[in-house]
Amino acid sequence: MTTTSTTSSSRKLTIARAMAEATAHEMRKDPSVFVMGEDVGPLGGVFGNTRGLHDEFGSERVRDTPISETAFIGAAVGAASDGMRPIVELMFVDFFGVCMDAIYNMMAKNTYFAGGNVKVPMVLMTSTGGGYSDGGQHSQCLYATFAHLPGMKVVVPSNAYDAKGLMTAAIRDDNPVVFMYHKSLQGMGWLGTEKGATVATPEESYTVEIGKAAVARQGRDLTLVSLGAGVHHCLRAAKTLGEEGVDVEVVDLRSLVPLDRETVRASVAKTGRLIVVDEDYHSYGVSGEIIASVVEHDTTCLKAAPRRVAYPDIPIPFAPTMEQWALPNADKIVDAFHQMMSN
Amino acid sequence: MSTAITVPEDLWEGDNEGVITAWLVEEGSQVNQGDLVAEVMVEKAQYEIEAPAAGTLTITKQEDEVVAKGTTIASLDA
Amino acid sequence: MQPTNDQRLWMYRQMVTSRHLEERIETLYMEGKTPVFNMAKGPIPGEMHLSNGQEPCAVGVCAHLNADDVVVATHRPHHIAVAKGVDLNAMVAEIFGKATGLSGGRGGHMHLFDAAVNFSCSGIIGESLGPAAGAALSRKMQGKPGVAVAFLGEGAANQGAFHEVLNLAAVWQLPVVFIIEDNAWGISVAKQASTAVLRNDMRAEAYGMPGTHVADNDVEGVFAAAGEAIARARDGQGPTLIEIETSRLAGHFMGDSEDYRPEGEKAGLKGRDPIPRYRAALLEAGLIDAASDADLVDKAHERVEAAIRFAQDSDFLPPEAALETVFV
Ligand SMILES: Cc1ncc(C[n+]2csc(CCOP(=O)(O)OP(=O)(O)O)c2C)c(N)n1
Repeated sequence: MTTTSTTSSSRKLTIARAMAEATAHEMRKDPSVFVMGEDVGPLGGVFGNTRGLHDEFGSERVRDTPISETAFIGAAVGAASDGMRPIVELMFVDFFGVCMDAIYNMMAKNTYFAGGNVKVPMVLMTSTGGGYSDGGQHSQCLYATFAHLPGMKVVVPSNAYDAKGLMTAAIRDDNPVVFMYHKSLQGMGWLGTEKGATVATPEESYTVEIGKAAVARQGRDLTLVSLGAGVHHCLRAAKTLGEEGVDVEVVDLRSLVPLDRETVRASVAKTGRLIVVDEDYHSYGVSGEIIASVVEHDTTCLKAAPRRVAYPDIPIPFAPTMEQWALPNADKIVDAFHQMMSN
Repeated sequence: MSTAITVPEDLWEGDNEGVITAWLVEEGSQVNQGDLVAEVMVEKAQYEIEAPAAGTLTITKQEDEVVAKGTTIASLDA
Repeated sequence: MQPTNDQRLWMYRQMVTSRHLEERIETLYMEGKTPVFNMAKGPIPGEMHLSNGQEPCAVGVCAHLNADDVVVATHRPHHIAVAKGVDLNAMVAEIFGKATGLSGGRGGHMHLFDAAVNFSCSGIIGESLGPAAGAALSRKMQGKPGVAVAFLGEGAANQGAFHEVLNLAAVWQLPVVFIIEDNAWGISVAKQASTAVLRNDMRAEAYGMPGTHVADNDVEGVFAAAGEAIARARDGQGPTLIEIETSRLAGHFMGDSEDYRPEGEKAGLKGRDPIPRYRAALLEAGLIDAASDADLVDKAHERVEAAIRFAQDSDFLPPEAALETVFV
């Protein structure tokens, strides 16, 4: 089990800046690192995560692409197998449909097909999440869709410190890493940023190990497990429940692949109660996987049936009334706990 | 000596108001001249505010507060 | 092919209607979004892609279509929906997310579906072509009359689906027309930075279909090119690709500061706004005079205002309705 350590530095970054800073640092050090994607050049990325890179490294290494995801993600696979370390951006994860073959049949599998003799050291950055009425093709999380498919690591930071460390680790990793960043954490004012995502972040380079969860808050009565934006809902719920005298532990998964089942199990072994919070669809997803990881290991540790607060199995509606109703939030987590205790 | 951090008059074009979207330094910490301290958003564009001097930061306009050009948003005490 | 006077007036009226709608949406969209621009706020939350400047593409094509014909549009759909005859009240209500909207607020501005006039759109770039080809195939297989039209931006011509569907439509000689609205930009990336091909209609040859280019956002030029293509499709002579040089007078989406545009470009485009140009042409041709123009404009505006009032006065569906209509 590891805990996010904030450093003495008082400088804070948004996740967007943290991603750009990690990328710039690796690009300075390693000429094989380059960036491709739509609007990642002079615009700096629609979500700000390549801001400043074009100014510093120019159009040769920070490439605006045509709207041709199959082409440039496929090209990244080829370049990665040929000595480069591409970072590519799929602007919204919802767009994976036009280019998934390059991702899951090639990026994810080539190393295995080659018996480990071919490396595909690339990072696929992609934005996730809704809550701002962008409709059903621009608001999904799809964490499980990617985590389900073997051969790619998947990380989902909840704050800038982790984002920088995970980004550095992802670029240096010899395997493909999908870096899923939630729009509401990004620090783009126009998306209404979660304040808790903008945290102290050291200027020097460091890594956060891929595959290690963090205990974002220690507690003894209940374990909340989540990722990305969900971590902040959990922290708010923990505060509310704390006022009722319930001592809540919050586990921030940070990585979906590899999944740190040990940290989750250790927490549930201590608290005996588990609620999983996920903005991705309810069925066949992260929430089911976490619960299975606990109960298949030990059926005696739970004092109550585990619960999940996840997105219902419906496309995401546009109307804010419907969308907000369907999204996970702190109140739903608190309710889920109350129901757990009343059963 | 205390130096005010104000929103520079030439940070963006026009007289629109903006909003502080993020403080990038903690209250009470020591900053150097030229350090990036805050982000201000006007429409959908983000602008950066740098420390005009070195000193200890006291924030007077918090995140989400509305600011105009010339608004004092913090002070630096050396 | 020349439009009749009635067609000219119809095209002008649709352009004026669409533009007024966009200008009103622009204002209403900003409600609750100043001084802090938070997309989630205000009566119209989310992304908003306005079609100001692109009206000639919509009216010049839809002048040849009736309710039976199928149109599949893009993430920038309003002008096309207006010209295709989508129920304006229900469309505006959908943009506001209301119960009276086309889909009760489940779709939103990028997902407008009006089955009554065979209109739909999608927010994924390049995904208008496949469904249009499929509708054309279905018409052919069922022996039903009608053609299909797919609209797309010039950026979408670099998407894989574009090439696959063009090939399919040509080899099967489907009654479909592909309309590229070339506004020179895909968000911040210029057309010439995205393709080495000068004009996308040139790509038609590669797939064995005719390609046509319309310069300078010319309403009647679009009318002529689309008229020929649609007539050919109706006559069983297969698909056509048309690229129209048009202009995006708004940002890519609301809130876009458009810093990527070269200095002066926007002002130049505004100087070539197609609506005042067409108005001048109709005045000169004696089809309208100042008084009849004012009357036409007033009526078009009032239609839009009525739709906006309808939307504003409508309620939201109860939130639980989110669970309905996943399946029928
Ligand atoms: C497959 C896919 N990739 C990227 C996007 C993001 N995106 C939305 S609009 C746009 C630009 C589209 O340009 P163009 O097709 O020329 O249409 P325009 O916006 O200029 O009308 C992009 C890249 C998307 N919606 N779908």
